Amino acid sequence: MNETHEIELGKLLKKGLGPPDQELRRDLWPEMVRRMEKGERRVPWFDWALLAAATASLLFVPQMIPVLLYHL
Amino acid sequence: MELLERFARGEQDAFETLFRQFQSEVFSWIMRIVRDRGIAEDLTVEAFWKMHQAHARFDPARSFGAWARRIATNLAMDHLRKSRRETPLVGEPADGARENPGIQRETREQIATAFKRLSPKLRIVATLSLVEEVPHREIAEAVGISEATVRVRLFRATQILRKELEQLGAKT
Repeated sequence: MNETHEIELGKLLKKGLGPPDQELRRDLWPEMVRRMEKGERRVPWFDWALLAAATASLLFVPQMIPVLLYHL
Repeated sequence: MELLERFARGEQDAFETLFRQFQSEVFSWIMRIVRDRGIAEDLTVEAFWKMHQAHARFDPARSFGAWARRIATNLAMDHLRKSRRETPLVGEPADGARENPGIQRETREQIATAFKRLSPKLRIVATLSLVEEVPHREIAEAVGISEATVRVRLFRATQILRKELEQLGAKT
């Protein structure tokens, strides 16, 4: 297969797909700010896992509570 | 201090300046791959979010545009992988395509079907090279592969597309 075939195929694809409108019609900065706020508020899964483990420990071994309070 | 150095240090105003400078370029690049305005806007924001998170790994001595394009291409590729069986590829028809809507619709459907059967990595190279006429060097840089690999993928994509289109009855 040579370059001519690629050009022919390219022409057909262009004809079929058409050029997309590539112009950005609005400023995306407000969405970027929302995305950053959302991202920064997100708590990593391991923090939730740690919290769950700590809660479970306190529930199943309540003797740990005074020890924990002593160390706080 | 230079803008890129300030961005790499995590300064928010530097990031905003770069966002405003490059948002159109990144959107346009993604649009050429995914050919859907809404998805391209979402992916543009997601690409800049990744850049924001990765600011410390950016080398200010290198091109921000090339780095942004690489990240955008990876996101577009992920999108193509996820939506391979769901999303139609075709965007708005070209001006010439509106002249003969009956034939054009059939051709568009055949081409969309053939494109859908390409793997995302072949589809990206085929779209950028055959349809958008992006030089192989730029495709290689954006996808993170060698120019030789671009040529191999283009060859495979061309073979598959020709075969698919012939089976579907479209003249190649």
